[in-house]
Amino acid sequence: MIDPEPLILTFRLALITTMILLVLAFPIAYWLAYSKFKVKAIAETVVSMPLVLPPSVLGFYLLVAFSPSSWLGRFLESNFDLRLVFSFTGLVVASVIYSLPFMVHPIQAGFASLEPELKYASYSLGKSRWTTLFRVLLPNMKSSLLTGVVLTFAHTIGEFGVVLMIGGNIPGETKVASMAIYDQVEMMHYDQANIYAFILFAITFAILLIVYMVNQRYFSSRTI
Amino acid sequence: MQKIIYFLLSSLIVFSACSSNKQQTLTIAAAANTQYAMGEIKTAFETQFGQEITLIFGSSGKLTAQILESAPYDVFISADLKYPQSIYDQGFAVGDPGVYAQGALVLWTLNPNLTPDAGLEVLLSEKVKKIAMANPQTAPYGVATEELLRNVGIYDQVARKLVFGESISQTNQYLTTHAAEIGFTAKSVVLSKELQGKGQWIDLDLNQYRAIDQGVVLLKKGVERHGALAKQFYEFLFSDTARKIFEKYGYLMPK
Repeated sequence: MIDPEPLILTFRLALITTMILLVLAFPIAYWLAYSKFKVKAIAETVVSMPLVLPPSVLGFYLLVAFSPSSWLGRFLESNFDLRLVFSFTGLVVASVIYSLPFMVHPIQAGFASLEPELKYASYSLGKSRWTTLFRVLLPNMKSSLLTGVVLTFAHTIGEFGVVLMIGGNIPGETKVASMAIYDQVEMMHYDQANIYAFILFAITFAILLIVYMVNQRYFSSRTI
Repeated sequence: MQKIIYFLLSSLIVFSACSSNKQQTLTIAAAANTQYAMGEIKTAFETQFGQEITLIFGSSGKLTAQILESAPYDVFISADLKYPQSIYDQGFAVGDPGVYAQGALVLWTLNPNLTPDAGLEVLLSEKVKKIAMANPQTAPYGVATEELLRNVGIYDQVARKLVFGESISQTNQYLTTHAAEIGFTAKSVVLSKELQGKGQWIDLDLNQYRAIDQGVVLLKKGVERHGALAKQFYEFLFSDTARKIFEKYGYLMPK
């Protein structure tokens, strides 16, 4: 009835982006939460920019930056034989930038909400920074981590403007579900567009619902 | 607090005044490939009739979807006949679409290391990594490009290099940012003031693809909103003045 490929591609993109961002956003969030550097305001602004920039602006910058006529594009192509426009790898890089605040902000808020005593108690009991981080701090901010993961995943599924600008609509490579919906609407195949749209709607609704339910239970069980 | 309310109220008045003003001007929805020629036609119409018009450009498919959802457009200038025909069939236009021009394809590159003069063989070169074309599912120029590549017999060989712009404008974007080395676009693009003399282009053999019949319809909304004025603009598109402008931009004229 409908081609499942764009849907599979969308979820693959969202999954890979989320995994990369989980690793990448973690040290950034830790640093932003605890550092007292003056440049912190600048770093926080840069991280938050994808929230306010129109996707078309981000997409346009990336199109120009990834193009083989720019220094970055030329460097990647001559050294790694890599071209980020019109490729799945390019979409992953773009999505990581585009969804960065959705992972960093919840984790940063999670760190900030922890009582500083928790950390000092662990240090005074002779635990190292790493042990403190992984055995004390992280277990106390599971809900922030979950929120970051889910928002990033859902936000990447909803990505459209950036993909439109740099993707090139190649089936199986860059034609994600949001592009397929756009095409079906343009072809006046509203039935097909509806199927794609409904599947995306249902899945993202389910994901968000689960998170809110889990978070609610988590918090209520803590207060008892 | 009071100041804020005054400010909001006064801006509301200013903005509503702006929008009521718009009712006077014709709103024309036009396919992306016509944007250069339409700029000149707009000026010609405005000087001849003293009536302002507003142009809205997009892919024919998107504009059609908007018209079918009652977008406030008066005339729809499409890149093909299929979309205006379906608008007429669904009762949104006052008459059958008329062919105002025929579009021609060119092969265009802005890459100094490529020369398209030898013809389509250049696409097989290793120097060409990506070939930009309009999406054949949504853009009439894409349909013509695919037809051409299949008739020449190199479609399968170049399929892996093809990237698809949602409209002819996005295809141009891929080419002008050098994201793709070479690509197929409308002749009206390479003859425009903005892009004339940029890069190199060649005409393509009209025996290998059909020139694209581009249709226009007068919308029922246009007659409701502007009556004779909308009709006047529709007829102007078939006038000698308009035909000359279309020809200047590389369109062929229907016989």
